[in-house]
Amino acid sequence: MSTLDESTLLGRIRGTRPGRLVFPTTEQGRKRRRIAALAVPFFALATFGAFLPLVKMFRISVSEQFLFEVQGWTLAPYQRLFASIAAFVPVVGTDISAAIAAGGEAVNPVYGKTIWNSLWFGAITTVSSVTVGIAVAHGLEKYDLPRKGLLVTLVSFPISLPGIVAAFMMIVLFGQTGFLTNFFAVLSGTEPVDLQLTGQPSGTTLAILGLFFGYLYSMIPRATLLLRGTYAEVNTDAEEAARALGATPLQTFRHVTLPQIRPGIVGALILTFRTALAIFGTVLVLKALSVVTFRFDQLVKVGFELNIASALAAIFFLFTVLFTFLSLRYTSAEVAR
Amino acid sequence: MSTPGADDATAVTGEVPDREPSRLGRLSARYGRSLVTALLLVTILFLIGPVLVTFIASFFENWTGILPSGGLTLRNWAQALGVAETVGASRGLGGFWTFVAPDVLFVLDLPLLPELTLFFPFDFYVQTPIPMALGFSVLLALLGVFINLLVGVPIAYAVTRYDFTGRRLMNTFAVLPIVPGIILGIAFLKTYPDLPSVIALVLGYSLLKIPYMVLAVQSSFESMDLRQMEESARSLGASWTTTFLRVIVPGAKQGIISGSIICWTLAAAEFNFSYVVYSSGPRPFSLFLFENISNNPFLRAAAAISIYFIIVAVVTALLNRLGENGFSVGGVR
Repeated sequence: MSTLDESTLLGRIRGTRPGRLVFPTTEQGRKRRRIAALAVPFFALATFGAFLPLVKMFRISVSEQFLFEVQGWTLAPYQRLFASIAAFVPVVGTDISAAIAAGGEAVNPVYGKTIWNSLWFGAITTVSSVTVGIAVAHGLEKYDLPRKGLLVTLVSFPISLPGIVAAFMMIVLFGQTGFLTNFFAVLSGTEPVDLQLTGQPSGTTLAILGLFFGYLYSMIPRATLLLRGTYAEVNTDAEEAARALGATPLQTFRHVTLPQIRPGIVGALILTFRTALAIFGTVLVLKALSVVTFRFDQLVKVGFELNIASALAAIFFLFTVLFTFLSLRYTSAEVAR
Repeated sequence: MSTPGADDATAVTGEVPDREPSRLGRLSARYGRSLVTALLLVTILFLIGPVLVTFIASFFENWTGILPSGGLTLRNWAQALGVAETVGASRGLGGFWTFVAPDVLFVLDLPLLPELTLFFPFDFYVQTPIPMALGFSVLLALLGVFINLLVGVPIAYAVTRYDFTGRRLMNTFAVLPIVPGIILGIAFLKTYPDLPSVIALVLGYSLLKIPYMVLAVQSSFESMDLRQMEESARSLGASWTTTFLRVIVPGAKQGIISGSIICWTLAAAEFNFSYVVYSSGPRPFSLFLFENISNNPFLRAAAAISIYFIIVAVVTALLNRLGENGFSVGGVR
């Protein structure tokens, strides 16, 4: 069938750029069509599942009314958030906050505090879990341990557990009737109530320590598996040469292995940190520290301040995306698979 | 073995280490290995110990000291599953057909007469049996996996087989969970307010779990010579579509099956998103777990969580039969 038989409309569509994508005439064009066809389902899901909802969320964060119909434009939620964040800054914070805030007075630094909690707690848990992860991955990859497959299976088991279950595991270990709590209570002769790490008032050292272990429970397996991928690419010949030339195991690790796995460690730190920021279920059950994700729950379920929640979510989302992409792009980070 | 100079990127710079090992060096040679092994074992104990304790404790009548006490019992399990009657009647997973009788049937307010309130005579509710509701949750996660397959396998093939502008960016988007579950939940609240929870949940599950599917399928694709397979099939007369569906996809069977299993398990237990989005209809399994953890006696919660442990154990065994090491495949982001 020649093109003469077809309608002129179809012919005109074929002339356009998108038209050539659908009706290609060259092999290069057909390849392009295949790639487009393979990517269409993904883009459809990403559009309806993520893009549109996120756009709507941004829209709500700058709207005057949102309860029944989203209407009007205002930056008030952001003004409130940034005033609160500024108020948390020591020394000069009160003045900056007063300058930003709508009423001209410094506001409650609760959001600043919450964001700060998320950041420092995320950083500490990230560094701890990656450190443990290095040791575990080292042991798994470098030593000929018996039943290595079983060990890997066991380490990766918690990846399947949601945060609420990780929190329950902490209650099992460190709660009032917890296994370790009672063990140490018997050893030290104190009451379990003074030793328990869960069920303590929010913000106390013991409660935060309990949450710390809860975070590690979810993060160590992820860090370990990321680092295992890195270890698999290490050149073992160089290590053997170093050992044969008389370097101690520590020197070999410090001067031969570490330079090779450093990009992998940076990559693991970045990805584990974003895991830490997104943890929600564990905090919801243990209620030990007010982090950003926990604040969302209060905003959405208790106060229904959806515009503030959306603004906070928008900041949080932009921060995670920028942090992940920029740090993966501009550091030596490598993510092995 | 690589030649010197070819490995410049990883070349060691700086001072040459001392010839004579230091005290620390001698210590590391002596105890380093046992120390790392011990840390490995402690970590595994920290990760797996509480799982075992929970499972074992769920069969006991009492647990106050270091170890569970009292006799063995199935009571906790029966209560968690909603088979046995409990004080305060746990609603468990019910929801699809849950009918709770109203306390006040109606109020009769006629002029000149005292107000007449008719109470419902029984404290009574009907609900879906829990195994049935659990089955519904399973189905929900299966739908999510189905979408993951339709979306994940093609995109994994596109970024592994072809080279095109934006390939790296697309790959990053496909394998990194960009949106945290709770953010996505908040975004969903107003975007799809009228969407039944069931559909919103399936949509969310498939979006949140797609990286695991892409990673698992990609690892299979990477072990195949895709270009050669495609060219051989094409030269033998198969169309490109036929090649993709009948040569490429069957070749990546292992990745597809393990990806599906992992996505299914993770979707069945997804909490952060479900917690924000769920409003009505059949309850997701993770909310059933949450209710048990936050409201119920310790041992009943232990039994409820053990239901999930059994599911994960079965899934892990399946994955290991496929030649993977449990959840270690791809599922690390």
